[in-house]
Amino acid sequence: MALQPSGVFFENYSHDKALIKTKYQWLSLAIFGIFLLLVPFLFGPRIIAVANIMIIMAVVAVGLQITTGYAGQINLGQAAFMGVGAYTAGLVATQFSLPFWISIPLGGVAAAAFGYIFGLSAVRIKGFYLALTTIAAQFIFHFAILNLPTSWFGGSNGLTLEPASLFGFEFKTDSSFYYLALIICTVMVIGAFGIVRSRYGRAFVAVRDDDVASSMMGINVVATKASAFLVGAFFAGIGGGLWAYYVRFVSVDQFTLFNSVWFVAMIIVGGSGSIVGALIGVFLIRLINELVTSIGPVVSEAFPFIGGDIVFAAMNIILGGVICLFVIYEPKGLMYRWNIMKTSYRIWPFPH
Amino acid sequence: MDHAIGDSPGAVKPVVLEANNLTLRFGGVTALNGVSLTILDDELLAVIGPNGAGKTSLLNSLCGFYQPQEGRIRFQGKDVIGQAPHQIAGDGLIRTFQGTHLFSGMTVLDNIMVGRHVHMKTGLLKSFCYYPWAHKEELEHREFVEEIIDFLEIEAIRHSIVGSLGYGLRKRVDLARALAMEPKALLMDEPMAGMNTEEKEDLARFILDIREAQKIPVVIVEHDMGVIMDIADRIAVLDFGSKIGEGTPEEIQKNEAVINAYLGGH
Repeated sequence: MALQPSGVFFENYSHDKALIKTKYQWLSLAIFGIFLLLVPFLFGPRIIAVANIMIIMAVVAVGLQITTGYAGQINLGQAAFMGVGAYTAGLVATQFSLPFWISIPLGGVAAAAFGYIFGLSAVRIKGFYLALTTIAAQFIFHFAILNLPTSWFGGSNGLTLEPASLFGFEFKTDSSFYYLALIICTVMVIGAFGIVRSRYGRAFVAVRDDDVASSMMGINVVATKASAFLVGAFFAGIGGGLWAYYVRFVSVDQFTLFNSVWFVAMIIVGGSGSIVGALIGVFLIRLINELVTSIGPVVSEAFPFIGGDIVFAAMNIILGGVICLFVIYEPKGLMYRWNIMKTSYRIWPFPH
Repeated sequence: MDHAIGDSPGAVKPVVLEANNLTLRFGGVTALNGVSLTILDDELLAVIGPNGAGKTSLLNSLCGFYQPQEGRIRFQGKDVIGQAPHQIAGDGLIRTFQGTHLFSGMTVLDNIMVGRHVHMKTGLLKSFCYYPWAHKEELEHREFVEEIIDFLEIEAIRHSIVGSLGYGLRKRVDLARALAMEPKALLMDEPMAGMNTEEKEDLARFILDIREAQKIPVVIVEHDMGVIMDIADRIAVLDFGSKIGEGTPEEIQKNEAVINAYLGGH
């Protein structure tokens, strides 16, 4: 934990426990909030589309942060959990024409149930083996969707949705959907902060740091690991539901192992064990992703001998390189560095 | 079930923890061989013995981490063997660790708050909302934890990350975390190991204070004979997995078998 700014003292536990402790922090949060609200007015349609994707991914990455960053359970199936949420939301919306404010939470619940089953396997296995099991989640998801009757989930044709609507207003445009996604994402992020700073969050970290000692402290390690998956998958499901209503088309190739790996990359870059870190990771990885997609065609036009195929390959190489660099030079992620900088600024001119 | 101990005339103390004829084997190695031990209410029992005598194995069996092949352990009249460690801890049989098994990525405060886990009730949904339920519960338990922090004199480090602390302080945080669970019996595995004389004296004072304030039985597994002879009510001596002596510190100092196995060796 970073040091508090000089001159800040707490007079009650409630204040000590608060996330936002000084009025400057309130001020910067308010400015950031206003900026987020103004995004659809300040930028063009492309940026708004990118922002929408970022917000949806932020919900999913925050979930993965809880499973992997806090509870220490490696999960390479987050995209599959997201897919379960997207398909469930899509199914109940098309078949039973339920409104989005029921179908998105239902997507979350379905993903949570799916995640919980895989969480139970974390009880007996750790590390690499657990990673393999979660990859299995990914393949089971693909296999099930493609092989179940087409009338259920649409098979390889996918599902097509009507736009989300509330009191007759349809979230058809990117700008209107932006606000819907922003509200849901804000609720989910606040919820994530609630979970990690209360009883369950501490149990997650305890199990990550030392599972023998945590069982001796009366923590049910089995249930805690499984609920870490449950929570993470619930967030993924909500993100999946949002995705379904944003793209209005759901298909299996939107939720591949590749996507799961990007979510893990976001956690690594942002810093594991920090909700804000997950948000920063999403922003940076998507930013690099978008930059490569925009610069790629320009490059292949300027140097025709490279060929257009190189763009997709370059994206993976560059992102893979970014992950490698982070694992080598900044394994604890950007939030860790940021906290060190903040602390050293606050105690300057003393070294420690 | 009731036993009286010799040096407190008239007082009949109830048995809190009772181990009967424990035998624990790891493959061909017999770590414990028919060990029986009775821990009475409000007494300080020390378990001593040379390296490899089975002290830590005994402690691990008592708190449910090892499952002995033979014998029976009862805590407050309830069978321990067969229960999961977290259930036993939930019943109030709490231990501290040899070395430290703290959660090194958390602050001191959060480590001790983990000790309150069994006493907290907030579920996932209420945690997600946080205000007001989870927040209220956090503050209530924070007050309890602050009292322990005050008692063990670790106020200054409450917001430090445990991984950055020295060994003596970590041991104290380990004790604080155990106390936060409101133990009905406290098992301590080599609390003095690796400490200097001053830290040992501090810790011995804390252990005596805990007994004084909470009236709970404390079992200490320890190497340091000086400290043990000073603070223990009763001492049990293990050697090669068997109990070779039991009694007050004076009796143990005169016990031939003990002197041969342990004290004579030094």
